[in-house]
Amino acid sequence: MYKRLLQRLLGWTLSLDDRINRVYPQDFNPLYYTGGLSNLFLTILVLSGIFLFLYYVPSFNEAYTSLQYISGVGPFAVTGVPYGQIIRGIHRYSADGFIIVILLHFFRNWFTERFRFSRDEPWISGMMLLLFAGFIGVTGYVLVWDQRSALLVTMTGRTLETIPVVGGALQSALFGGPGLTNLLLPRVLYLHVGPATFLYVLLWWHYVRIRHPKVWPPAVWTLFSLGAILLCASLIPAVSQPPASPLAPSSRLAVDWFFLFPYLGLKYLTPAWLVLIATVIVVYGLYIPYQLPETRAEMGIRDSGVAQVIDANCTGCELCYYDCPYDAIIMAPSPHPGVTRAAQARKLLAIVLESRCVECGICIGACPFEALELPRFLEKDIQAEVLEACRT
Amino acid sequence: MPDVNTPPPAAAGPGAAAGGRRPRIIGFLCDWAVSAEGIVGDDGTMRDLPNVSLIKVPCSGFMRPAWLEFALRNGADGVFVCGCPLGDCFNRLGNNLIRDRVVQMRRRLERQKVQPDRVTTIFYGLHDQAEFVRAVREFSEHVAALPAPAPARPRPPAAAGTPAKPAAAGEGQAAPGAAAGSGVPPAPGAAAGGGAKGSGGSS
Amino acid sequence: MPDDSGPYGMWIALLAVVGFVCVIGMIWGELTNHRLWGGAFTGILLLAYSFILLFLRKGGFTGV
Repeated sequence: MYKRLLQRLLGWTLSLDDRINRVYPQDFNPLYYTGGLSNLFLTILVLSGIFLFLYYVPSFNEAYTSLQYISGVGPFAVTGVPYGQIIRGIHRYSADGFIIVILLHFFRNWFTERFRFSRDEPWISGMMLLLFAGFIGVTGYVLVWDQRSALLVTMTGRTLETIPVVGGALQSALFGGPGLTNLLLPRVLYLHVGPATFLYVLLWWHYVRIRHPKVWPPAVWTLFSLGAILLCASLIPAVSQPPASPLAPSSRLAVDWFFLFPYLGLKYLTPAWLVLIATVIVVYGLYIPYQLPETRAEMGIRDSGVAQVIDANCTGCELCYYDCPYDAIIMAPSPHPGVTRAAQARKLLAIVLESRCVECGICIGACPFEALELPRFLEKDIQAEVLEACRT
Repeated sequence: MPDVNTPPPAAAGPGAAAGGRRPRIIGFLCDWAVSAEGIVGDDGTMRDLPNVSLIKVPCSGFMRPAWLEFALRNGADGVFVCGCPLGDCFNRLGNNLIRDRVVQMRRRLERQKVQPDRVTTIFYGLHDQAEFVRAVREFSEHVAALPAPAPARPRPPAAAGTPAKPAAAGEGQAAPGAAAGSGVPPAPGAAAGGGAKGSGGSS
Repeated sequence: MPDDSGPYGMWIALLAVVGFVCVIGMIWGELTNHRLWGGAFTGILLLAYSFILLFLRKGGFTGV
């Protein structure tokens, strides 16, 4: 039943592709570059974030005014940081864009089943990236220290308390103690910048099994994204809500839908339920690559067996090594010479790492020396099929 | 590999399409690309185009150019590989790789006096069946209009399968790497040093 | 060049004019300290530029 649902979703995904391909040439289709677009938005975030970091002060009294100074509003209408308002807007709207493209990337790779075999590593690291991105966004909204921020802190505290055993400790760790203390904003600043840096470690893990990852979108989309962000930042300036005042806490939350929708859930659910649902969703997300069976019967032609190196023929030419999309082939110093003449002179031997092989057969296509085979798709099988087809 | 001469089409010359037999086309279809459901019969030939046989492979990048040549040498008039739309290969690089390999192979075929248009790559996604069938039909008609291939050069029977003996190189007379094939007779030691020298000069 | 290079060429010229107007707007925004207007014009310029690139490819002026 899940399989049928996935088929239907795949159909919608591909027909969306089709519609876009009618307008844009295939190598400009943004849905083929959702990963690159995510990286683009992350880069914009990091650069604009560094700018903001240079002026932000993480203290209860000064956080709000430092942002006023950056944005050139209030008492700093004339003396504010030049372009600060635009860069603050760039930071906020590229964060929203970041979540949009990450979700596109997530859903597209889910519905097209691009998590088979060893591709579960990009999937798991991708889930971590998504969770970290959401977390970083929330801490960003806390840093502003307006009424929304104070409300977020209160709501997060209440939610964390409902987690059994570790809830109180988590709350202390995140906020620097129960309730609002002086340690809150410096800690939240660290929890904003530190995980943002850690995103690059997770990205290393995300790319590590992939050769030639597409890390940047085509120029058309880079320009389009930058232009859209700039336009949003200029037409809808990013502003703070009224400043946080612990004496008169607000009860209305101005929601940014991309990051703060779980808090919206607190309006309808108790915190305990929210935590439970969130946990279930995250755990399911991590389980997705393992949900579909990968038995022979299910996969058919797509389970062709791990690529096998024919030791006798391998000449160490490295063509398979360079062509494997998943870094599943390594070249090792040849422990013994091969059998054919060319293989006798080899210095290197190709070795297939079975845990990384997704059984696609691209290495077989690359090899000019017949030194690689797919166990269930041998060369002689292909030739037999060709001869059979020629006879009909 | 058996060395079968490609049979000339029933009617000689480029007008073979009109009234001649339809060209035999073999297509290799990547399993993640266009779906063959409903357009392919039990024997692997397409319902609308009975001269086209489809063979399914796990990825378009799996195809060795040598197999495409094998098909051409064993009775196929045209071969094609169909992969996922460019930019959307399920295995990321397969369709770009097969495209590059076939481009290189076509140039090689041209040098060997085989019409490069007999080999092509096309790219269609899961639901593009109609466009796929249309493209295959166009390819079939295009191949039908190609002039008949030149009959294969007669080869000495010993050439098939006999590796060049290292002994010839050991004698220090044959040019290095003078392997058998392409009409050069093998140089067993007994074929005399003159023969070995001659083959070294011509290869 | 394919036959639809005509209309695409016209669009490209139009977008180039829009881009030029945006540049003037950027300079004006800078000189009069209307920085948000300057930002908006920059945004529109980048969007126009992205469409120019797209139409260059679709009109056959660039690309494979």
